[in-house]
Formats: sequence, structure tokens, C-alpha cells
Amino acid sequence: MAGKLGAAAATYSPSTGQRRKRPTIQTGSELARPDGRGLHQCRPAFLKTGAVNSASGSAYAEFGNTKVIVSVFGPRESKKAMMYSNAGRLNCNVSYTTFASPVRGQTPETKDLSSMLHKALEGAIILKSFPKTTVDVFALVLESGGSDLPVITSCASLALADAGIMLYDIVASVSVSCIGKNLLIDPVSEEEVHQDGALMITCMPSRNEVTQMTVTGEWSTTKINEAMQLCLDACSKLGKIMRSCLKEAASAPQD
Amino acid sequence: MAAASGTNDLSSEMELDAFRRLFPLSFHERHLLESIRPDGRPLGRARDTSLSLGAVASANGSALAKIGCTTMLAAIKLEVMTPTVEAPDEGCIAIDFHMPPICSPLIRPGRPAEVAPVISKQLSDTILSSGTIDLKELCLVSGKAAWMAYLDIYCLDADGALFDAALLSAVAAFSHLQIPVVSLNDDGRIVLVSEENGGSMKEKEPVNKEKIKLKMNSQPFSLTCILHKNYILADPISEEESIMETYLTVVLDTNYQLVSLNKPGGPGLASTSSIQDCIALAQKRVKELQQILSEAISDMEVD
Repeated sequence: MAGKLGAAAATYSPSTGQRRKRPTIQTGSELARPDGRGLHQCRPAFLKTGAVNSASGSAYAEFGNTKVIVSVFGPRESKKAMMYSNAGRLNCNVSYTTFASPVRGQTPETKDLSSMLHKALEGAIILKSFPKTTVDVFALVLESGGSDLPVITSCASLALADAGIMLYDIVASVSVSCIGKNLLIDPVSEEEVHQDGALMITCMPSRNEVTQMTVTGEWSTTKINEAMQLCLDACSKLGKIMRSCLKEAASAPQD
Repeated sequence: MAAASGTNDLSSEMELDAFRRLFPLSFHERHLLESIRPDGRPLGRARDTSLSLGAVASANGSALAKIGCTTMLAAIKLEVMTPTVEAPDEGCIAIDFHMPPICSPLIRPGRPAEVAPVISKQLSDTILSSGTIDLKELCLVSGKAAWMAYLDIYCLDADGALFDAALLSAVAAFSHLQIPVVSLNDDGRIVLVSEENGGSMKEKEPVNKEKIKLKMNSQPFSLTCILHKNYILADPISEEESIMETYLTVVLDTNYQLVSLNKPGGPGLASTSSIQDCIALAQKRVKELQQILSEAISDMEVD
């Protein structure tokens, strides 16, 4: 409604009028990151379960400026007229708020994010434990600050655990950007814009199993190995943080 | 609730839960006879309310409002537009209310909730008609450029009294709104004046040096009440809304002037005296909400 009105008025968001420069890193061995982190240092993570009361389970994740809420509903009746299935179904949907990106309305395509999330979680859920029914996982990105999909995936697995859905293990996800010769873990949006290649690993840390891995861009084999090791280490650390978050929620007195 | 009264047996608790599900209306009416509600509130009291400003860094103004479990996130983004010929010195405000599927089990992706456009319309009517914001304040260069304020409100958790929470978050977002300093460049476009290189000579004089905060006149606040038989229940939760369907929303400004009164049908009819009672409750509520908003603003200034 208001969106149409806005399109008719042809508005634009004022910029500083300067081109964004590629971070000056080509030659130097150590580049300065916009938020002053080390190259192999993740952003501080804040995780909390039970963010949405009306959902069966939910979680809120804040990694720097990336803020995500995930709600889980179900297991509940499958809505569409679907074939009989002994295993349960997983339904994922990711959406962005209109103010998530710096310029209004420039939000990424969410169809592929939804399907990526589905594939990342599918392997970790014991679908046999809720036959004939559906579990809905809905994510809303409140603010997009880079590495959105890994944050969504990790947050979704926390929400699934909060909802009491049977999992083989929690799922932690971390991405790495390659800029020039440098590997940057947990990149922010500015770094993602300038990256030459990206690698994302989603894994179940205690089982040491990878549920999803994507590699895009230009990579050498040694770099890929290095990046994978970085991701896996970060995933196991993130897994520990997620575990302690769940333990805290479980031990807190319930009112 | 029931567990507190006795540790004796589980069966009484089970019966209570079953009774609540099978006969929701008599369950609630039994409570109302005792002048109390299932969540322990007296009939006229609203739930605990909290506000925090500046929740979204990528917006020019934002606020998170919580009334009980109902949570709303409002954010304003400013863009530049060419004013219309009819009103060359006025900006514009576009208000949109969203209910994403995360907020309630009843909403599925691709099928938007019916109430969302209704609340959206109600919000724009209330905010634009109350005179809270003078659209002339949003003008940059008369006839050439003005601000278009996109106000988007997202319901993060739906548990009744959605309009009240949405309006509160909207008003709070406007009080948090900070207008960036901009200037007009040679191509006739508005550009941001960046703080770091303020010394550069090429940049033109800013067109809006003074207006960093938006001036607001009397702000609107609202209270929704359920009318059921002779009872008036302030600030209902979603369970109460689904059982007792007649409700009345009163919007007052800070001078207790009536901005809007909305009773969208329902099986019950409102008598004059019950409308007056609702307005009296709303007056008390406006005082509370004003206090909460000014506390939130001073909290933000301390940080």
C-alpha cells in the first residue's frame, strides 16, 4: 500500500556522494577490519532463547549488527494436501524487514535463503520423531550486517532446540571471506561486497559432521583447506556458546 | 496459578486446563465475577509496558515497544522526494504495519493476516490526523526536495492489543528520529554532509542545519478495552480478544483530547456510560505511557 505510494513518488536515499573504496589491503599482510577485529576473530555473539512467546520455540541472535529472530511452530498438521509420509516435514521461510539494509528495499532474494536454511537443518532433525506433521521454521532478519545466512542457521537450530524438536545435534554455521591473500572470518556486509571468494560451513560440532558447505568465487586448494579449518574451529566454539545458552535457559527458574 | 494453591493432586490442575479449553467463556466469566482476570490483573489495569529507543542501527529512528508479551519494532527511514505541486513545502509519511509469520501461529508465509492492513490504515489515520507531526517540518528546499519518512512497524510477538503497541512504538520511533544534515549539490540532488570531511571546501552549505530532531506536537496514545456484558477489560491478551469479541479503542493525545474512537462492530453494543468509562481508563493510561516514553528518552540521552 505505502510501498506503491513510495514508488510513485520516486524517492531516493541521500548518499555522501563518494564512491566506496575497496579496503586498502592488497599488499599489506594485516588489513584493518571496519570494526577493528582481528582477521580470525568472530564478532561477539549474543544468543537468547524464548524471544517470541506465542511460538513453540524461538531464539534471538545478534552478531554485531546482524540481528535475527527465529520462531518455530509445531509439530503441527501439514497444511497443504500432501502425500502421506512416515517422516515429518520441515518448512522454512526467511524474510527481511524493509529497514534491514542500509538503503530501503534493497533486501536480498529470500527464496534461495529459505531453501538453503531448509537444507542446512534437514540433516540435523530427527524427522521420524514427528511423522505426518510439519515443523515450521520462520526467520525474520531485523538488521542485515553481513554473514546473514550463517547467523540465521545457527539461530534456527537454537529455536528448534528451544521448541523441543528432536535433533541429532545443534547446528552451528560460520562463513569466511577471501579478500586478496587474506581470510576473514565472520565477514560484515562491507567485507562481503569486496570479497573474491566465500566459504560457508554448517556443521554439527559434537558429531563432527557437516550438513552444508558452499564455496563461491576464486579459491586455491590450500586456501580452501585453511578456510575450512578456520570455519570448523569457529563452529565448535559457536556450538559451545549455543549449548551454554540452552543450559542457562533450562536452569533458569520458570515462572 | 492452580499449582500454587495446592500440591495435593495433579488431577485438579488437569481439570482446570480442560475447563479453560472447553468452556473458555464461562472460565473467563467466573474470573470476572471475582473482579480478576486469569493472568491476575484487575479488570482496568494494563500489562507491564517497556520501551527502548534506537534498536535498529540502520534506521534514522527506531523503537521497540513491549506491552506484556506483545512486541512491536518500529523503524523510520528517511528518503528524499520531490514535493507535490499542491503542497510544495510539505514532506510525506508512509506508514506500513507488518505481521511476519514469526509473530503468531495463525500466520503463514504468503498469506498475510487480515488484521494487518486494517491496523496499518488505522495507524496512518491516527498519526496523520492528530497533527503530531507538522509535514512542513519535513521540507528541505521548497518545491524541490522534502523528506519522505517510511515508517515500518513489525509485530514480533502478537498477544493482543496490537494497535496500542504499534502506536506506542510508532510515537517512540518519531521521538527517536534524528534527521541527518544534508546539502544540495550542483545536480540538484540532496547529499549527506559527512562529519569526517566537514572541512572540504567543495561542499555546499547544509540546507537544514537546525533541524536535527523532529518537533512533535501533542502525541497520541491509545488504550483498547473489551466490552463484555457489564465488564470493561483494559488491554486484552489475545485469548481474551478471541473469546469476547466486542472491543473499543480510544486514542487520546497528551492534553487528553480525543483523537479517535473506534468500535469495529462486534456482538455487544456500547452504552454511553461504558464509553465514558473507557475514556477515563484511557486517560489514566496516557499518563502512564507518557511517563514511560519520557523515561525511555532520558535513558537514551544518558547512554
